[in-house]
Amino acid sequence: MQPFTFHAPTRITFGADTASSAGEFVKELGGTRTLIVTDANLMKAGLLDKILSSFKDDGHFEPVIFSDVPADSDVPCVKQAAQLAIESRCDSLLAVGGGSVIDTAKVVNICLTYGGDLLDYQGLNNLPSRLHPLLCIPTTAGTGSEVSLVAMIKDHAEGKKLLFGSRLLAPDSAILDPALLLSLPPRLTAGTGLDALTHCLEALAAVSTSSSLTDSLSIEAMKMIFANLERATTDGANLEARSNMLVASTMAGLAFTNAGVGIVHAMAHATGGRYGTHHGITNAVFLPYGLDFNRMAIAPKYAYAARQLGITNSTDDAKGADELIRVVVSLIERCGLPSCLKDLGVPEFSEVDLEELAEQAITDPAIMFNPREASAEDIINIYKRAY
Amino acid sequence: MSVFGNSDELKNVMLTLWGRIKTDADMSEKLLRSRLLVQFRYRDPEGLLTVDASDGVELKLIWGRFDQKPVIEMAMKADIAHEFWMGRISVPVAILTGKMVSKGPTPKALALLPVIRPAFDFYPDVVHEVAGEGARK
Ligand SMILES: NC(=O)c1ccc[n+]([C@@H]2O[C@H](COP(=O)([O-])OP(=O)(O)OC[C@H]3O[C@@H](n4cnc5c(N)ncnc54)[C@H](O)[C@@H]3O)[C@@H](O)[C@H]2O)c1
Ligand SMILES: [Fe+2]
Repeated sequence: MQPFTFHAPTRITFGADTASSAGEFVKELGGTRTLIVTDANLMKAGLLDKILSSFKDDGHFEPVIFSDVPADSDVPCVKQAAQLAIESRCDSLLAVGGGSVIDTAKVVNICLTYGGDLLDYQGLNNLPSRLHPLLCIPTTAGTGSEVSLVAMIKDHAEGKKLLFGSRLLAPDSAILDPALLLSLPPRLTAGTGLDALTHCLEALAAVSTSSSLTDSLSIEAMKMIFANLERATTDGANLEARSNMLVASTMAGLAFTNAGVGIVHAMAHATGGRYGTHHGITNAVFLPYGLDFNRMAIAPKYAYAARQLGITNSTDDAKGADELIRVVVSLIERCGLPSCLKDLGVPEFSEVDLEELAEQAITDPAIMFNPREASAEDIINIYKRAY
Repeated sequence: MSVFGNSDELKNVMLTLWGRIKTDADMSEKLLRSRLLVQFRYRDPEGLLTVDASDGVELKLIWGRFDQKPVIEMAMKADIAHEFWMGRISVPVAILTGKMVSKGPTPKALALLPVIRPAFDFYPDVVHEVAGEGARK
């Protein structure tokens, strides 16, 4: 067995309506004045009402609210929120939202805790000391950022995303309240669910870094996703389907943050960085191509997953891998997600676009975990086929 | 005990290794094209190596204090560097187990890997020549 390290420092609490105890959770973490990071849509939809009143009930200082996080948050947004946190003397953070909000809160915490230039902290294992307490309440079921050790923020000056990765970046606590997801529209439900499925499949495929711990989380989360994503997408009010997706997404988060992702994420990052496409939906487009690209390197692992998922009884690895890819494609179709980049709204590529995208994908940190090495030519081929 | 007896031994091995990389036409051309300024910070024993390709003309190797801010900084135990060059530890594993620290834009650090990979072939000889028979491998 190969050596591994598994980090899961986040306390995870699941239950409908658990978010209405947020104030108590922050207090337990030692927070007295809290910056709440969220976005305007969620505020308007009333998703924060119960959370805010929990702070009043608990005799806290009034929390400070930053609700200007855009989709795919960026450096100016982080700086603005950090400024507010510093001026308000906050000592703790609460993120309520999707991956964009949670990643923003993580990087704001870096600025609040250490001060100085946030660019000095980008990189991997590059944080010097413990951060302020962070509680996360995800309102999408996909990114796993509520338990992950990474955050990505757009830097418009460089036209790329800055990566921060450290075990110190894992949130202290996560509240999984499925009631908050009832308002998530079908396309985002499906897209974020496909992000979670991609986390499972890429963590499973990361043969040099995955372990029995990450494999078991990936497989169990996939079972839950296959059984519940379509239902959560078409019947958004179904609390049971939402619950399963939310927990599966956190499990997938634990798997990928300990094993890594791969070529699908690398290509989705390059594409999203350039064309502003949604992270999960972009993963959905590339996932069948990524699975197909890797199958020659790890068909036995895919076949193992297919058998565990009850998709096949066959002991033939090639057949098992085929079956796995087939059910993934079928799920993407049934959830109404686009199957090509054109339908995702990506403009036609020039040769220069393709070269630049390939260059970005082959140097994206996600690709270092991929089981099969991909050349720029391989990536360009996938771009052309996926268009 | 470390593979390297002391900082001088580490210095000699790393400067010899990078000296060979510099004289390899293909590797040095690619490094110069990247215009990167990379710093390797070692501990147990200590050492600081800066590889400066920023002018795109000459690859400069500086051991010890260097006043400019590097684009990328990689920090690790000297033994991890040795394992890396011997091809016995992969970067993803070293990152996930916390054995390597990379500061700065990670894609730039990763772009460096395929460029310097050919040096894996001659690193064992460098250790052998410089650190001698006594070097524990
Ligand atoms: N750090 C990590 O581990 C990690 C992993 C994967 C993705 N990400 C990042 O996460 C981001 C994507 O996050 P996301 O997919 O959660 O989407 P998102 O956070 O960008 O949100 C997308 C939209 O959904 C809306 N929304 C969120 N929850 C809602 C709800 N319950 N009801 C109605 N509307 C709701 C938001 O207002 C927003 O307009 C990307 O920036 C990606 O890079 C991070
Ligand atoms: Fe993702």
